[in-house]
Amino acid sequence: MEKKFEIKDLITVGIFTALYFAITFAVACIGFIPIFMVFMPLLVPIFAGIPLMLYFSKIKHFGMVTITSVIIAVLMFITGHPYPVFIFCIGAGLLTETVLKTGHYQSIKSCVIGSSTFSLWLLGMLIAFFFGFREAYLNSLVDGYGQEYVDKMTGYTPTWVFFAMIAMCIIGGLIGGLLGAKVLKKHFRKAGMA
Amino acid sequence: MTFGLSSTSDKSVLKLDPRTKLCLLTAISLIMVGGKTVGAEYILRVICAAIPFILLLTVRHIKSALIYMILLGLSVFCEGSVIPHISGAANLILMIICGILSRFVPGYMMGWYTVRSTSVSEFMTAMDKMHVPYFITIPFSVMFRYFPTLGEEYRSIHDAMKMREIGQSVKNPFTYIEYVLVPIMMSTVRIADELSAASLTKGLCAGGRRTHICQINIRLYDRLLIIGALAMIVLFFVF
Repeated sequence: MEKKFEIKDLITVGIFTALYFAITFAVACIGFIPIFMVFMPLLVPIFAGIPLMLYFSKIKHFGMVTITSVIIAVLMFITGHPYPVFIFCIGAGLLTETVLKTGHYQSIKSCVIGSSTFSLWLLGMLIAFFFGFREAYLNSLVDGYGQEYVDKMTGYTPTWVFFAMIAMCIIGGLIGGLLGAKVLKKHFRKAGMA
Repeated sequence: MTFGLSSTSDKSVLKLDPRTKLCLLTAISLIMVGGKTVGAEYILRVICAAIPFILLLTVRHIKSALIYMILLGLSVFCEGSVIPHISGAANLILMIICGILSRFVPGYMMGWYTVRSTSVSEFMTAMDKMHVPYFITIPFSVMFRYFPTLGEEYRSIHDAMKMREIGQSVKNPFTYIEYVLVPIMMSTVRIADELSAASLTKGLCAGGRRTHICQINIRLYDRLLIIGALAMIVLFFVF
């Protein structure tokens, strides 16, 4: 395993981040239906975990996941999410990096765990509903979406849901990682692509 | 207008600097997604909604500009005069649809305009001038180039499935996702390999300081637009 960081790796980062982001975005769109918003951290990693596993199998160097997380943070910030998304994204990226590193970027087990730790960045997207951001965010929703919508959202998101969401991220990430591992085994290992 | 030679953006009447576009994009999505619909912010929203329309016209995407205007008009009309008159589940559904449309479509169109009107070399040059490190710019430019390709790939896979009469008959959503996702992932891997081969040929790995052949300058209207965008962001946070 060579240590040098190459342009090839950067291209891999770019292309897989695009795929991951597109899938995340597609799944996250159903989060506008209030009840699905709560389950979004469970659903997104299940679907997005599949390409993520393929991506992890391509990773050979330290830093690639971190770059992915930085890019996702910037994209999320540009599309109007509050700034804590940076903390969560980069934190999740570094955590995943460490997990993958302990598996020497080869063990499937650490990839699956990495898929679940990487999913934790989704919390950055949802933190607006909790803690100090809650009041301001819900108030800004009132005249955009109407009181009825906000009431529903308020009902669905008491503080304990945040901790449930952490669990959902991890479980969803595990399911997605296992699915991804299965898909890799079924389709890519044979073709020599993973 | 001359065609050929230079990059993809030469159909444009008004040639903006990529930095200006990014600035506008940030302003628009910040204001449209997070903004309120009352008071001073309403005016900001109107301005923000108009910018992608005008910019799309300048790159002669008249059709998409019109579709955008109609969509936005419809959703604003619904929010204003239809929703107060109905209640219950229909209200909620309509509210959500209109909310999504009026919030995300302007930002999306601005993003689409940015991707469509900026060539990769323009983007790289602009980022280089902003002193963004290369390990951020390269993945970013690959990504923006790849998003349209992803759409194309998806459509081709969809067509291929239709031709073989699979698609409607697949009831299990996981099977459907596998049928779509696996080919996309395959082509993603292939495209990544091809791109790195291409970049190798173009000497991207050579190291040393890279120079740029394409010329981008911040002109007077770029300055005006950047100041305008910054002013809007400041106003948005003040109110």
